[in-house]
Amino acid sequence: MAKNKPSIDTKNLTAVQLMELDSCTRCGECVKWCPTYAASGEKPGLAPRDKILRWRQFMNKSYGLKAKLFGPEEIPASELEEFKDDVHGCTTCGICATVCESGINTVEIWESLRTNLVKKGIGPFGKQSMFPKLVGKYNNPYMAAPEDRLKWIPDDVKIAEKANILYFGGCTAELRQTKLAVATARVLNKLGIEFTMLGSEEWCCGSAMIRTGQIHVDDVAKNLARHNVDAIKAKGATKVLYACAGCFRASKVDWPRVLGEELPFEVLHITEFLADLIKKGQLKWVKSIDKTITYHDPCHLGRHVGVFEPPRIVLENIPGVRFVEMDRVKEFQRCCGAGGGVKAGMPELAVGVASTRVEDALKTNPDILSSACPFCKRNLSDGRDALTEKNTPGAEKLEVEDIIVLVAEALGLEVIGD
Amino acid sequence: MMVISMIAMVIFVIGMIINLQKWGTGVTGYALEPEAGSKGSAIRFLKTWWKQVTEVSHHGHGKPILEVLVLDILFQRRILKRSPGRWFMHFTIIVGWMTLFAMSGMMFSVEMAEKFIELPFTAEQFREVLQLPNDIFGYVLLVGVLIALARRLFIKEVRDASIMYDWVLIGVLFLVTVSGFVADGIRTGDIVWNIGMSGETAMAYAPPAALFHSVISLLFCIAYIPFSKYIHVIATPLAILANKGGE
Repeated sequence: MAKNKPSIDTKNLTAVQLMELDSCTRCGECVKWCPTYAASGEKPGLAPRDKILRWRQFMNKSYGLKAKLFGPEEIPASELEEFKDDVHGCTTCGICATVCESGINTVEIWESLRTNLVKKGIGPFGKQSMFPKLVGKYNNPYMAAPEDRLKWIPDDVKIAEKANILYFGGCTAELRQTKLAVATARVLNKLGIEFTMLGSEEWCCGSAMIRTGQIHVDDVAKNLARHNVDAIKAKGATKVLYACAGCFRASKVDWPRVLGEELPFEVLHITEFLADLIKKGQLKWVKSIDKTITYHDPCHLGRHVGVFEPPRIVLENIPGVRFVEMDRVKEFQRCCGAGGGVKAGMPELAVGVASTRVEDALKTNPDILSSACPFCKRNLSDGRDALTEKNTPGAEKLEVEDIIVLVAEALGLEVIGD
Repeated sequence: MMVISMIAMVIFVIGMIINLQKWGTGVTGYALEPEAGSKGSAIRFLKTWWKQVTEVSHHGHGKPILEVLVLDILFQRRILKRSPGRWFMHFTIIVGWMTLFAMSGMMFSVEMAEKFIELPFTAEQFREVLQLPNDIFGYVLLVGVLIALARRLFIKEVRDASIMYDWVLIGVLFLVTVSGFVADGIRTGDIVWNIGMSGETAMAYAPPAALFHSVISLLFCIAYIPFSKYIHVIATPLAILANKGGE
């Protein structure tokens, strides 16, 4: 019998990841916690356990005992196409890895599978394919000119040419949710922290490509990381601050791996920096925010990197704030639904997940649902609006706001922007 | 028995080599491609695994290797965190299975050694010494297996999610466990497990019952490991170690 070629290959899948597929005991914990599986009406293919099972079967058909004896078994293109849709229906929030009894690093398996399939010409999903093209051309996903990154900066904000501390704004805060960038810059000024920025030399962090399996496309992700690291070095910075959880995660975890080298600077989220100042008694509030606030942990800040306490320290220290925890927080947090390219590829699914998260928040009767990520803010706002349309009690009055904007208000700063 | 043991071991080793080679078709690091024209290699897998075990994690989730070995692998902390009931089930199965496996190995070693050297005790005396611990850990295993079987049969969400891959594992484990009790019951005249056999009938059926138990134990619990869900016995500890205890 003539031996066929395997229908799949192992590009981007590490030897350890292939072993992890066989370590799944099918306990079903991941299924119970998966936010997209729940929001999809429990579509079986979206369950992490099912994805692991299918790729293990694909591997056995291609490289297992039977394949060795009789040749690889063909996997129909329709099955691979369906698998691609399911593996992209994941926000890469990582709850499946947290609850996995076998300790499988599922998020990295999903990302590797996405890249593997994209290299085969299967995927990514919908609009996600635009990321490398746009970012490769404009160095941001919003098709903005480099000088547009400076437009948000008010006249009163002082940004040093060079400094030990650098604020990496991120495309979304500098080009869309500018309130976030203004708040961060004004807070740093108010606290007397000298900082610099990359300005028009700042490029996208590459997160969108990495999360959607396009890390390899035209080497865009690597080029972005290389440029940003070199530009930060040139500014003389030893500490880089982020108010965007996505950029923070990409810099801390992905850049060193993409470049194959350790970063020559410290990577900190703004809440870590502020919590440290609070502990040292160096942050003096000037205004009380008399509101009930709950906090949503961004996946890329919390579960992916382990920053859970600093945002809580900051919120609990703001005068007048009554801080309440909602269900599913910290390492067991429920995702907002925006990550992993789902917002771009499957917006309805993203809003479905967000609505569930806003419902978690509403159960604590908060005035404000805060987070520390512009993508969470955007999608939670969409979830809030979806619930408002359904006349869900409390949704209409719920304010969704980033933690740094609340800090700015409590420091008596005016926060302008979108 | 010696021949069957050897066959079981050979099948196990071949199966593991196939698995290691399958895993070894993967790449050696993040975002890489397989070497051109290279086939799966067990050595490549082992090198990649060791590199991951020893490298620093940028996620900040890594736990000390000793803690991972004791708490996450031996004590199975990750299961306990999720479900104390399921932890009890799994822990009794693994403790029962591993201890019985070790004692069977010791018994086999004594029987073999007796053929070549003079021991200070006979194999029969050694069997008597192991009788009580065999009974205890046999029941420990049986409790775990019965809970596992009951979960799959009577809890709807577990039953609905079960596939042949799951049923074979628990079904075979149940068969091996019960056949062990029956073989021992016929031999010792145990009132619960002798399935109504006594006297000459028991003497006649004890050897084939013991042989049946030994054969299915060797074939299913050793030879079949690389080709079934039993592979998690090897792969799960390796995954937990590679991910430094997991998130």
